[in-house]
This record gives sequence, structure tokens and C-alpha cells, in this order.
Amino acid sequence: MDDRLEKSVGIPEWIKKEENQVHEMGRDAFINKSILSLLSVISKIKAQDTRKQSKYEANVGVKVLFTFGLVIMISVSRSPLFIAAILVYLLLKLSFMEAKQIIRILKISLIMTVFTFIVLLPAAIWGNSYSLVMLPAKVFATITAVNILSKTSNWSNITKALKSVFMPDIFILVLDITIKYILLLGELALQLLYALKLRSVGVNRSKQTSLAGISGTVFMRSEEMAEEMYDAMKCRGFTGEYAAIERSRWTAADALYTIVNCSIIALFIYTAFNEML
Amino acid sequence: MHIPDNYLSPSTCLVMGAAMVPVLAVAAKKVKEEVSQERIPLLGIGAAFSFIMMMFNIPLPGGTTGHAVGGTLLAVLMGPYAACISVTVALLIQALLFGDGGILAFPANCFNMAFVMPFIGYFVYKFIKEKTGTEKGAIIGIAIGSYLGINLAALFAAIQFGLQPLLFTNEAGLPLYCPYPLSISIPAMMIPHLLLAGIVEAVFSVAVYAFIKRVSPGLIHQGEKKVKPVYALLTVLVCLSPLGILAAGTAWGEWGLEEIQDVLSGGKALGYVPEGMSKGFSFNAPLPDYAFSGLPDAAGYVLSAAAGVAILIILFKIIGSFMHEKAGSGIG
Repeated sequence: MDDRLEKSVGIPEWIKKEENQVHEMGRDAFINKSILSLLSVISKIKAQDTRKQSKYEANVGVKVLFTFGLVIMISVSRSPLFIAAILVYLLLKLSFMEAKQIIRILKISLIMTVFTFIVLLPAAIWGNSYSLVMLPAKVFATITAVNILSKTSNWSNITKALKSVFMPDIFILVLDITIKYILLLGELALQLLYALKLRSVGVNRSKQTSLAGISGTVFMRSEEMAEEMYDAMKCRGFTGEYAAIERSRWTAADALYTIVNCSIIALFIYTAFNEML
Repeated sequence: MHIPDNYLSPSTCLVMGAAMVPVLAVAAKKVKEEVSQERIPLLGIGAAFSFIMMMFNIPLPGGTTGHAVGGTLLAVLMGPYAACISVTVALLIQALLFGDGGILAFPANCFNMAFVMPFIGYFVYKFIKEKTGTEKGAIIGIAIGSYLGINLAALFAAIQFGLQPLLFTNEAGLPLYCPYPLSISIPAMMIPHLLLAGIVEAVFSVAVYAFIKRVSPGLIHQGEKKVKPVYALLTVLVCLSPLGILAAGTAWGEWGLEEIQDVLSGGKALGYVPEGMSKGFSFNAPLPDYAFSGLPDAAGYVLSAAAGVAILIILFKIIGSFMHEKAGSGIG
């Protein structure tokens, strides 16, 4: 029976030989790492895309404006009291958020804070105790503030809110396109990376050069996408002008947010004068 | 190389911002001239590509990985002006939405990675490509260009760090921002970039360029036939302008009264405050040095930066008009 099958299908001799394959692991940590960083970017974009702005939240434009102000005040201030107050305020704000978001925000800000602390240690040994305390605290405060903004608002609203800091409309359009296409190109790159990972087994030198192929392909695809998008825009009557419309109503949440932030500004001025005296 | 906030003083960031505004304005104009409206989606998608490219981890000897920035590669593929805008947008999204790199430090990051890196890299690539005139020359050009581009960008970041303790200290003389002087910040930034990051950047750029050249050669930016040396010179000048302003910050003629006492004259410390200055010269008397720290200084820096930029634009226009005349007389 077996012989007949072999004859009829014509299985070659070499395939019947028993072989012991020693599976050597090739280097593919870089593929895994690339996949992970792409996945984290994509998940971040998707996470913010699905969230809905609640009625009880302040207007994103107000938030963007005050967050920028806060970043500047943190950077300029020399008062430990002010920085401490800001840290408390930000921690309070964090405490109102979901655990998952808190972890995400703290992960980013703590990594940078610890990094700053380590970088500053040698300076502290030379007697610079000021930077050792103040700089990591400031770094933590700034990164936390910006990440609270980015995690509590839809990104398209943030880009739209940039209009209030005199960003030209066309730039806002480019920013929106960029966010959407990071998602699209990211998914394309991800598929290519999976294909590379699945199809190369064991030691394979050309695995590393394939990365260039993936980037090149992503670039070529991006050029095509740009052309397609332009055609689509033209079909829908795009004339080169783009107006970002910002609709805003003053709500109780906005008022509360403004009051809190004005007291922060007052505290900043008070501590600045105190430092001066 | 993404500088976070609070490593640089706000006034440094303002100076870098003042340098970036005209660069971006010229870039936007150039891009518009090149392919008009069609470039608008391309700018966004180019920025997305530049963002994605920074996500790729490249294997390094020793089992670790690193990522390329791709500034020079983008400049070669899309032209330096489009690359400048794309990288700027990518950096803005990283700073604003992903918390990577500072908001205040954004202009400084742009200056290093969206201006110095693509333009220097592109000019070096063009220069070598033109001198050799072969495909091999183009490959060598992109390798050297991207290596130099990323290293110069790192050097600029190192100088921005290193100037902080010289310029911004508190009453006790302790640095307010990055505490390491140039003698530490330059080697700390340059050694890893010269030995590792530069090589990663060069290898990655060459590999992607070679791939695209093989698969779809038409996509590579053609650019002007010959790079006018004026543009290269201008790039170098714009690069130098904020440095000059920063270095001049407390160097000559802008001393505070305390500093005046320490100024050397004829090898000896001055040791006193000139009388006229102690009375009539204190323009910031109502807001002595540390009141709104940075603001009076910043105003001075911004003014000098604006002056520097204005001078550059004037130079640019004068040189431009000369060329125009020359071309005109050739026709006439």
C-alpha cells in the first residue's frame, strides 16, 4: 500500500531520510522589540480614539492653554514650595483617574524622573544638592501634567485646541493626517514584521537586512497613500484651504478648571516674590 | 536625543524657537513651491513615516538594539525642506501626545533633529554625490551624511546642555537646569553617538536607500541639480546663530552688578562696581535678578535672536537679488 502510494505520487528519496535538526536560535530580539514599540503606539492611539468627552470635563482648549502655562511656570519657578504644591495638585488629579491610566502615566514620568536622578547623582557628589531635588521633581511634574492632558482628551481635540495658541489651520490638518497615518502605517509595518518573524526560522543573516526592506516598503506605501489621499481630497472639493472649527461653550467644569489654575498662577507669583525677598 | 523639559532654561528654548520659526517658514514656502497642494497630505504621511521609523529597533553588536532617527534619510528621500517639516510634526506629536521630549524643549529638539540633522546630512550627501557622480558616490554620501548629521545634532544638544550651568545659576551659584558643563556634556553625548548611534543611523539609511533605489528609483527626491553653496553656508550660519547668542548671554556687556566685580581687567579682577553702573545702569532694578527669573534675560536673548535672524534674512535677500541680477543680465 505504502509502496504504491510512493510510486504514484513520486516522493523523492531525500525526503524520506531522517534528519536531526538542531534548532539554533537566530537573533530576533530586534523584531520583537520593534513589534512591541509599534503595538504600544497603536494601542495608545486606539485607546484615546474610543474615549468620549464627558459632560463634566473642562474644554480641551482651556486644558491645553493651562497645561502649557503650567509647564512654563514649573520650568521658571525656583521655589520648592511651588513645585511641591504642583506635585500635590497633579497627584490629586491623578487620583481621580482610572487605575489603568494612572499606571500608564506614572510609568512614563517615573522612568524619566529616575533617569534624571541618576544623571544628576555625580553633580550632587560635587555639592549641587539643589538640582538633585528640584530637577527630578520638575521633570516628574511636567511629564505628569502633559500626560494627564494627553490621556484625558481626544487627540483630535488637542490638535484642534492648538488653534488657541495661534497654530495655523493647515498645520492642524497635517497633524490630524499624521496621527491617522501613524495608525495605518504602523499596522502595515506590524504585518510586515510578523511576516518576517514567521517566515524566517533559525539563523538567518538576511533577517537584519529585511528591516531595510520593511522601512523601504512602508515609505513607498506612504507615498502611494499620500497620492490617494490627495485625489480623494480633491474629489471632495479640497481647494487648499482648511478651516479648523472650534466650538466651545463655557461650562461649570471650565469655570472650576480656570479657578484652580488661576490660583496656581497666583501661588506662582506669590512664591516668586517670596524667593526674591 | 529627545531633550525633556527642565534640562534647558526657558530662555534657551525661546532662542531655539526664534531660530526655528524662520527655518520652518522657509521650508513651508519651499515645499509649497515644489509640488503645491499635493504636498499637504504627503507632509502628514511623511511625518507618520518618520514617526514609525523611530519605532524600528535595529540589532547592535552585543545583543542590544538601538533605533535610528532617519533625519538624513528622509531629507534624501523627500528633500530637506519636506523632511524638516515632517520631523517637526513627528516631534510635536511625540512631545504633546506621547510625552516623549519636552513641550518647552520642543524648539530645541526641532533645531537639533528637524533642522541640523536633515540639512547637514543632505548637503554632505549632495556634495559627495556631485563630486563623484556615481551611484557608489551617492551611497557613500548618504552614509557619511547621515553619520555626520546625527553626530552634529548630538553635538548641538550637548552644547545646549553644557551652556546651562554657565548661564543660569541661582544665588548660591548652583546651576538651575542641566548642571554639567561643556567639558562633561560633550563627551557624554558624543561618545555613544560617534561609536554607536551614528553607525546605526548610517547603516540603516544606506540599507533603506539602496532598497528603494532598487525597487522604485523614481521615488527618490531629485532636488536642484546643483546645490548652491550659499544654501550650505546659510545653514551653517543659522546653526551658529543661537549658539552665538547663548554664548554671548553673560559674556560681554551683559554682566550683572555682582559679576562686574569679578570681571578681569588687565589680568586683575575689577573688584569694584563702576559707580555709574551701580546707580544709573540697573534697568532691571524693580525686578532684581531673581524676581521672575529668566524673564529679563529672556527678553534680551529674544531681542538678540530676532536681530540675528533679521540679519540672516537680509543677507539671504541681498545674495538672492545678486543672483537674480546675474541671471537677468545673462538673458538680457
